[in-house]
Amino acid sequence: MLKAANLIPQRRFVVVSGVIIMLMFSLILRFFYIQVYFHETYKKKAEVNRIRAIPLNAPRGLILDRNGEIIVDNFPTYVLTAIPGEIINKEKNFQIVSYCTGIDTTILKTNYKKYYRGRFLPARIAKDLTFDQLSRIEEHKQELTGINYIQFPERFFSEKINASHILGYVKEVDQAIIKDIKEKENYIYGDLVGWRGLEKVYENRLRGTKGVHFVEVDAYGREIGQSSDYEKENPIPGTDLQTTLLISLQAMIEKILDGKRSVVLVSLPETGEMLAMVSKPDYSPDLFTGETTVDEWQEIISNPDKPLLNRMTHGLYPPGSTLKMITAMSLMEKGRIDYSEKINCNGVYELGDREFHCWKEEGHGEMDLEQAIAQSCNVYFYHVVQRLSIDEWANACNEFGFGQRTEIDLASEAKGVVPNSSFMNKQYGRWGWSKGHLLNLSLGQGELVVTPIQMMQFINSLVMNGSAPALHVVKDKPQIKHSVDRYAHQTWKRIKKYMLNVVSSTYGTGNRANPGIPGLNIAGKTGTAQNPHGEPHAWFIGFGEKDKKQVSVVVLVENGGHGGVTAAPIAGRIFDFLFSSNENMNLAFSL
Amino acid sequence: MIQLFFQKFKESPTSLIAIALFLTGVGLITLKSINTGQEGTLFQLSFFKELFFLIPALVAFIFVFFIPRHTIHRYIYGFYGFMIILILLPFFGNEIASTYRWIDIGLPFGFQPSEFAKWIMVIALARYLSDHNLEMNHFSASIIPIIMVIIPAGIVLNQPDLGSAIIILVPLLPMLYWVGARPFHLFLIVAPMVSILTAFHWISFAIWAILMIYIIYKAKPNLVFSISTFFGNIFLGLLSPILWGMLREYQQKRILTLFNPEIDPLGAAYQIIQSKTAIGAGGLFGKGWGQGTQTHLKFLPVQESDFIISVIGEEFGFFAIFILITLFSFFIMRTLRLAYNVDDRFSSLVLVGLGTIFTAHVFVNFAMTVGMIPVKGLPLPFVSYGGSFLLSSFIMVALIMNLSIDPKDY
Repeated sequence: MLKAANLIPQRRFVVVSGVIIMLMFSLILRFFYIQVYFHETYKKKAEVNRIRAIPLNAPRGLILDRNGEIIVDNFPTYVLTAIPGEIINKEKNFQIVSYCTGIDTTILKTNYKKYYRGRFLPARIAKDLTFDQLSRIEEHKQELTGINYIQFPERFFSEKINASHILGYVKEVDQAIIKDIKEKENYIYGDLVGWRGLEKVYENRLRGTKGVHFVEVDAYGREIGQSSDYEKENPIPGTDLQTTLLISLQAMIEKILDGKRSVVLVSLPETGEMLAMVSKPDYSPDLFTGETTVDEWQEIISNPDKPLLNRMTHGLYPPGSTLKMITAMSLMEKGRIDYSEKINCNGVYELGDREFHCWKEEGHGEMDLEQAIAQSCNVYFYHVVQRLSIDEWANACNEFGFGQRTEIDLASEAKGVVPNSSFMNKQYGRWGWSKGHLLNLSLGQGELVVTPIQMMQFINSLVMNGSAPALHVVKDKPQIKHSVDRYAHQTWKRIKKYMLNVVSSTYGTGNRANPGIPGLNIAGKTGTAQNPHGEPHAWFIGFGEKDKKQVSVVVLVENGGHGGVTAAPIAGRIFDFLFSSNENMNLAFSL
Repeated sequence: MIQLFFQKFKESPTSLIAIALFLTGVGLITLKSINTGQEGTLFQLSFFKELFFLIPALVAFIFVFFIPRHTIHRYIYGFYGFMIILILLPFFGNEIASTYRWIDIGLPFGFQPSEFAKWIMVIALARYLSDHNLEMNHFSASIIPIIMVIIPAGIVLNQPDLGSAIIILVPLLPMLYWVGARPFHLFLIVAPMVSILTAFHWISFAIWAILMIYIIYKAKPNLVFSISTFFGNIFLGLLSPILWGMLREYQQKRILTLFNPEIDPLGAAYQIIQSKTAIGAGGLFGKGWGQGTQTHLKFLPVQESDFIISVIGEEFGFFAIFILITLFSFFIMRTLRLAYNVDDRFSSLVLVGLGTIFTAHVFVNFAMTVGMIPVKGLPLPFVSYGGSFLLSSFIMVALIMNLSIDPKDY
């Protein structure tokens, strides 16, 4: 075991000792060289110069409208940072800063704690400093070792529009939210990260790359100049984001919808580009930038109209009669309807012991399919929808994208519900529901709920005969086609002819959507969706075409009453805006 | 029992523990200076934390000093296996500072198992090399020792902790040399690494190739072996830039930062200049305790652990540095002298290995603060702040003192 004797040749001992002594001697020489021989040089350097790395924040990319007009800009602000390891008297320094800026020391201290990253890294203690505050800080610079200010690009929004639900907002990275960020290593506390909407979806593109520059500072922390030892690395600004929005149209719609709980969507069906997206009530987009007070916040979150809710993608509504087209198309495709077949509407339809009413109490009289769509006759559809099973009807709805996400490039959206037989079984039990439910559903009432953005996709599918490009807000998003290919060309043509009647014929429910511009044809459908929260929701979906240029529109006014009365005129103003002047047409159809 | 301890203690080279305690004192004084002006509760200040860590370190010292050498000898392979598991454990825990060096033991501080791997490795190697009456004239005798160090070194390198990996690897060469391995065989071990590193510049590669021819010619192995050694290394060298090119950019960056942290502009970029300025400004006698402006005002990251020499250099001057290096040299030479005189080969090898660990730590730490070598995260024994390493260092002193005395009575 331990019996192996130790027989080390002396030569080997000498060699190992020699190596060690040489290493140690080289250390002594090196230290002598630096500490004694070059002492004066280093002493001066230590007295005069200190090098500090200052991060240069990269401005985020701008967000532009379809013609390059700036929607979201950057605005240079100044922030005050404190380097914990350099501050000599924290208490006194904070008092001076408080005196210079008027910011309470408790706020400074809270920020100091919140953004603390380490002894030698700057922690942000105040932001949005004015030039006045800065110059007062500069006066006291000598007493404020370790406190510096740097430029910080803040988001700045166009005054013309809110568009808050689309643009989203940026949030400051702090200890609480850094956990939820995907690529953590790219962020430090105090950085901005896109948190909602386009700012979130296109975060990687909008965020630039930070730079750094090294300055020499004297013993008081005053900057002397650029350091010659290290090269400056310039920040690389983020890439600009060109959206498909038309800022003038968006502004016009936001103005006319003010005070209504409503959604308006406008798009180009041929490309899937969104021209305008408004959800009201909304909020000012700089709600999340400046210092929002607790009161302002309280007011927004306690508002019963829920301004933070993005009704375009998360509002769930019964679609009302706008879905009559799906019922009609399914019947046509399956050959279960005769176009000349007439059904008498006397205002009420009886099924078993229940009565189903038409919206027109006195009844429409004799109706064929064309008139039934144009006048939105319910009784006609009560009759014919029974020729479909609930699953046939639900499948048709699903094909048009209801019950699924549209995958528009906004951070998130709701799916909605299209009830089929298994859904109804779960909801009411195997025998708990009947044909009566189908009658209701086919009129877009009951369990069926959709989002406005799904309606936009639906109307675009109708315009494009089933193969409409995916909806998108940012210009160069790859276009995936969402296609409905079950229906014959004839069916598409016929249903659009009927929809044309809804707006252009004098008896059509949607005729208020027609601004009467020569050469402009408008087709559409109104909807009046009963709901338990009061007045019915008013819908209008439709599209206008002039010189082969098409625009589709979705209007929803919550509790707005009759679709033809409340929603259709709004669509009319949009068509008027876009098609009445060549200037606006050029702006909308540019690119 | 206590008497036995004192008896054994008296016979041991007590100057070693005296130096160790003195150096720890220097470290504490420096930490106290760094702490002035810092805020925090008692247990946030490194001075008190280090003072607190000294208690388990001294307890461990007494305990290890008392373990009979045959017990150490008998159980060391078991410890070796246990150590491999320990250094793998951090990979299952949380990342700390994007590395896997630490084990969370539920206390306010972590535990760094790679510190213990260093001396466990040395003892295991000493047992292998002393147990097997090896024909060190044959290269094959070195194969198993190489494997024994490569495994833990590889794991630690992945944590990633290049400094500790080097410390685990380094004792192998002197220990093999100590038991009589032929220098040419040591050359064979080192050659592939040098071939890979020199291959990135053709002049250095050419010089290396000529040097190889000279060494192989002097060693005179048989012709086939000579040729295959030479061309094997050349081939390896030529291959390495190609393999490098196959790595992805982030992988290359990671490797480069491992060898040269200065690539990271906001991290260690001006660390060396800062450190050199602080040390140079200290002059012959320093600025005095607590007076180092560089230390107290400047960016001197890790000044409490890896860069504590910058603080000492600034505040106490060349005078103190000279004393420290002399003390360390004395400590290491004394260990080496004991290794030469001790009766059995196992103890001798352990002493040489531990001496090498101390030498590597001391040299790398001093050298990096003055920019002689790229920054490596290696603390200075006894002086630098850090619980695991303080404990480990005192255990190593206990091992040296324990194994260097005549084994017959204890």
